[in-house]
Amino acid sequence: MKTLYHFALAAALGAALSTTALAAPPDDTVVVGLSADASTFDPAQISSRDNSNIAKHIFATLFKVNFAGEVEPYLVEDTTVSEDGLAYTFKIKDGLTCDDGEALTAEDVAYSFNRASDPANAFTGNTPGFVYTTLGFKSAEVVDDLNVQINLSAKTTLALGMMAQVFIHCKDSYEKMSLEEAAANPIGSGSYRLASWDRGSQIVLEKVKEPGTFDTIIWRIIPEASTRTAELIAGNVDIITNVAPDQVSAIDASGSATVAKVSGTRRMQIGFNLGEGVAGMPGAAEIQDPKVRWALQYAVDVPSICSQLLGTECTRMTSLVNPPNDNPDLKPVPYDPDMAEQLLDEAGYPRGENGVRFSIRLQGPRGRYLNDANVVQAIGQYLTDVGVETEVELLEWASVYSPLLRTKEMGPLFFLGQGGVTWNPLYDMSLFSTPDAPTNYQSWTDPRWFDDWKLALEADTVEEARPVINRMLQLFYEEGPWLQLYFQPDFYGVSDRIEWTPRRDEEIELFAATLKQ
Amino acid sequence: MWTFIIRRLIQSVIVIIGVTLITFTALQMSGDPTYLYVSERATEAEIQRTREALGFDKPLPEQYLNFLGNLVQGDFGNSLSYKRPAIESVMEALPATLELTLFAMFLAIVVAIPLGVVASLNRGSAVDGSIMTMGMLGQSIPSFWLGIMMIMFFGLQLRILPISGHVPFIMPLIQGDFLRAFTNLPQTLYYLIMPGFAVAFYSISRNARLVRSSMLEVLGQDFVRTARSKGISERAVVIRHALRNAWLPVVTMIGLEFGFLIGGVVVVEMVFSWPGIGRLVFNAINQRDIPVVQAAVVTLALVFIALNLIVDLVYAKIDPRVKL
Repeated sequence: MKTLYHFALAAALGAALSTTALAAPPDDTVVVGLSADASTFDPAQISSRDNSNIAKHIFATLFKVNFAGEVEPYLVEDTTVSEDGLAYTFKIKDGLTCDDGEALTAEDVAYSFNRASDPANAFTGNTPGFVYTTLGFKSAEVVDDLNVQINLSAKTTLALGMMAQVFIHCKDSYEKMSLEEAAANPIGSGSYRLASWDRGSQIVLEKVKEPGTFDTIIWRIIPEASTRTAELIAGNVDIITNVAPDQVSAIDASGSATVAKVSGTRRMQIGFNLGEGVAGMPGAAEIQDPKVRWALQYAVDVPSICSQLLGTECTRMTSLVNPPNDNPDLKPVPYDPDMAEQLLDEAGYPRGENGVRFSIRLQGPRGRYLNDANVVQAIGQYLTDVGVETEVELLEWASVYSPLLRTKEMGPLFFLGQGGVTWNPLYDMSLFSTPDAPTNYQSWTDPRWFDDWKLALEADTVEEARPVINRMLQLFYEEGPWLQLYFQPDFYGVSDRIEWTPRRDEEIELFAATLKQ
Repeated sequence: MWTFIIRRLIQSVIVIIGVTLITFTALQMSGDPTYLYVSERATEAEIQRTREALGFDKPLPEQYLNFLGNLVQGDFGNSLSYKRPAIESVMEALPATLELTLFAMFLAIVVAIPLGVVASLNRGSAVDGSIMTMGMLGQSIPSFWLGIMMIMFFGLQLRILPISGHVPFIMPLIQGDFLRAFTNLPQTLYYLIMPGFAVAFYSISRNARLVRSSMLEVLGQDFVRTARSKGISERAVVIRHALRNAWLPVVTMIGLEFGFLIGGVVVVEMVFSWPGIGRLVFNAINQRDIPVVQAAVVTLALVFIALNLIVDLVYAKIDPRVKL
């Protein structure tokens, strides 16, 4: 009898606990499962995509890139550009506030920009690094209460899109805080505020103003992909990122969630390293010939790689620019191994007695991109099949592959994916801004490209630069340093409880997410 | 006894130096971590500036000696990823790992001992066979696979246990918020069931077999035959006489258990999203966050040294044949 009593008590306790622990999120809450925790909420120190996705709900920006990939004003009411294109004067909206009630004025905008570039703060985040370098940011100055002037070192059509990445915050709030306090206690200008941060577990945001449908956003840190999937299927999480292809069918069959696939903006390529870093290596001399590079374009069956290894059809690349900004006259190179062999023969690299034209090494990362190891091995085999004997080497990203990229010593062939945007082709093309640009991993030095690059930058608008851009993309297509593969598809698990559409650019925005009726 | 303790403390200093040197060398061998802390478009000048700011431009021996010099003052440096004192990140994560490890140790003892005793008392029977088969399985099955299977069965199919997550108990206790700690306790235990079992299963299996063989050895001894012949109940013979002597190797194993369990929690913490030190170190290694790795390694080494010392003292207490 006593045993039965204890058993009943335990069962009741278990039921009570399960009710609280296993309940779906309430109607006013949306839960997102992320693979990594935020490392900081200092707006000038943020560098990772996950961190930035959370921060954009806390901090507003002067501009936003909308769902269609267009830059539109957000805090800005009016924009004036100087004749020489080096000074942008923004009139911000009246009545703006930060989360602590402080009025947000032009002084705060200028402070936000200048704080990030202050060498005394030694920030290493996205804003002072990548954004300001691309923008050519010099300084920000106050014109009056609502007008701020941003000064650049060079004219660029990328200005507004890059400024859309600078998080705006209030000077009075941040001057009171040390850098360490600012990292954990953000005082934002956006729709949500940081309610709690259980490091390694979850981040909770609470709505303070519009826009925003849900009162609470919970970002749960779930590093293991299968655990994220399980939580989604169980109904404990509404959105998960980075769904692996082998989990798509399980989610779609669950009856509680589906996978939303979107063609992302990450440009997956095989880079041809044309630089000194691999000079003398087998294959390095051969790929200097544009005819060889063009021939190899035909050797890889990209559609099969996508359908078999990534579980979906991919959008093929014709150049380094994301649609809809690419050259519409260029078509993806079809898989035609016979054509590849013919072109290699014509280029002067016939098969030897052992069937090999030349040997080459292909390096790729493991676990960095979607099914990267298998994709690289497949490509290696395709190249070998047309007589280019390929030695495949898979390397750990952080400690081996990344340093090799920086020192431009990887390859001669290497697999890489580089993020892009949908709002300006010049952003995508800026990887090759100069022959020795840090992102010109291939050390491509074709003067025709760089001469046209200067012309493209001089144009006042993208439309004005379009003929030059198309000419450059044609050159890149025919003689460029990439074997064009695909734009990496992104898979998001979305519960049937909510209505949400993912973006192409890996940004997660929840302002417009709603409960399904 | 005090001489023993002082001797062990001196040895622990040598252990700490060894552990930090090995960790430092291993991390440095994996390459320059500066590239992980600059943007893709960083110029060579920016990379060099960051390298200097992070201290990676100095010669390796100088970096290590600087670290040791700061260590004796309790300064592990700032986390490169989180930009806050590395020891703070470690101390935040340590309570969660202690909860998981202590719970797993509890399981490893209270489940393993009865199983081992039952097996020894039913030697050769189906019960004994089942327990030993479980023991063999437990020592063969990887913990991450077991964790994923439990998630699928108990979390997804039956929906009776939470798939992932953590409710703190030790941290509010340390912070003095006793009400919150004990209010959280039922939920803490509820979230601990699956990850705790995943960590403990190997130890349960091994300890059960150890207890069984130890008991079999003791049950065959003359003093046990004497106790039975005196008419003492079988329960008293087993618990008061046999188990008390079979206990000694188990105590030794428990001392080593903590270090073993700590090594096993990394994978389980990743699978169950447990915000412990294993996961922290795993991420820190990936990001080459050297201060956090060093701080975690030193902290765990100190905890391990302290536990081993306690085990040795307990062992000396319960076995009068052992002299410190």
